[in-house]
Amino acid sequence: MTSIQSDTEVRVIESVAPPTRFARGWHCLGLIDSFRDGKPHSIEAFGTKLVVFADSRGKLNVLNGYCPHMGGDLSQGTVKGDDVACPFHDWRWSGNGRCSSIPYAKRVPPRARTRSWEVRERNGQLFVWNDPQGNPPPPELEIPEIAAFGDPGWTTWTWNTLRIDGSHCREIIDNVVDMAHFFYIHYAFPVYFKNVFEGHIASQHMNAKPRKDVDVGTNYSNTDDTPNRSEAAYYGPSYMIDYLWSPSSMGEIETVLINCHYPVSPTAFVLQWGVMVKKPQGLTDEEATGMAKAFAEGVELGFVQDVEIWRNKTKIDNPLLCEEDGPVYQLRRWYEQFYVDVEDVTPEMTQRFEFEIDTERAVDFWKKEVEENLAAGRFVTSDPRIESYKASQAEPAGVGGA
Amino acid sequence: MQPLDCRRCGNHVLVKKNSLAHTSVQWTEATRCVEFARTPDLTARALQHSCDQMRESIDNAVRAGRIEVPEE
Repeated sequence: MTSIQSDTEVRVIESVAPPTRFARGWHCLGLIDSFRDGKPHSIEAFGTKLVVFADSRGKLNVLNGYCPHMGGDLSQGTVKGDDVACPFHDWRWSGNGRCSSIPYAKRVPPRARTRSWEVRERNGQLFVWNDPQGNPPPPELEIPEIAAFGDPGWTTWTWNTLRIDGSHCREIIDNVVDMAHFFYIHYAFPVYFKNVFEGHIASQHMNAKPRKDVDVGTNYSNTDDTPNRSEAAYYGPSYMIDYLWSPSSMGEIETVLINCHYPVSPTAFVLQWGVMVKKPQGLTDEEATGMAKAFAEGVELGFVQDVEIWRNKTKIDNPLLCEEDGPVYQLRRWYEQFYVDVEDVTPEMTQRFEFEIDTERAVDFWKKEVEENLAAGRFVTSDPRIESYKASQAEPAGVGGA
Repeated sequence: MQPLDCRRCGNHVLVKKNSLAHTSVQWTEATRCVEFARTPDLTARALQHSCDQMRESIDNAVRAGRIEVPEE
């Protein structure tokens, strides 16, 4: 009879094929200004090809990328008035998906309509709504406005785009709960770390001190001992806003970091990130802008540290966790809501869940008891262990025990 | 995870502590909480770190030994 020896059992990474379905929710495609150059733009997303173009008033539209006439690539076409004109036969497609005219034809066929994707312009960024069930976006899921955007006291967005192949976008979502990686990847020391998942929102709150043995020029390392603060949240499956407060020799620097992505295929996605910084006071506008740009680069260097890991890691469905790891399984349970039909979203996916590591709470816990005792006039004047020890020392030798 | 009722409003949650510093809370009816009910919408509530009353309830339960905390 063979018996299983627990010390020879090996934990193997399990990974099923990623879902072919794409997440329901708002996805950021990039900065609005980058689409307003008068040309149609091609985006590969959601397993298909899209065309993005601005109409004559600058309003952005997103349509299926291939012309339903004879399959021409609309992104190779031209913007004419409020329409995008197909390069093949000049059929004109308006932002709502209807064919508005065919220059060489007497009439447009009644069924000449391509898919138009629901869009939003928010925070200087273009968002598109994806839903395999085809329902319109509910109002409660609108992307929040960043108050500082457009404020002349802040810099404008930096912006970066990177396509990641061989990976499903769920892999970067896992970072929300990853407290330990801040020490190893970002050279920071979390003293307070909290996740709250509720509804469609997954948040991470962190106060971290710099590791004193490190200085690689990222924003997390500074000479001060005051913690950096980060308040970050995913609003839906793909768009994160991270508000950062960092002590520095110029005073406290405020930054907003956007971390977002959209899926290209089940095994590829495009990651984008951007930073805006509040210009420090007491400097000329030029000095402030220069300083803010340098700070943005520091934040981005920090982000690039994550990117390098994501680009090279493998999908793992069965993470082997220690007790000091964060709530990976609960986070994935939250994330699953975007991959099932609306009717199949369960309470477990959306009920509020909190996870917290607060190193000072441990200290405060006992401090509070001491304060309460002092306030109530209670003093510890005896300890049974001390009494017992004293008693054992006072006994003559030979008594007790055989 | 262990059950706990908020001392202020009786809201029922599950709590787990791996250490004094760590706390996990699973809510079932966050909207029933008197403090959370004051937040204007889900966005504000999801960003709110905790309900102070629930936090106190948890600390009291730990001191009273009703919520176990593994030895350090």
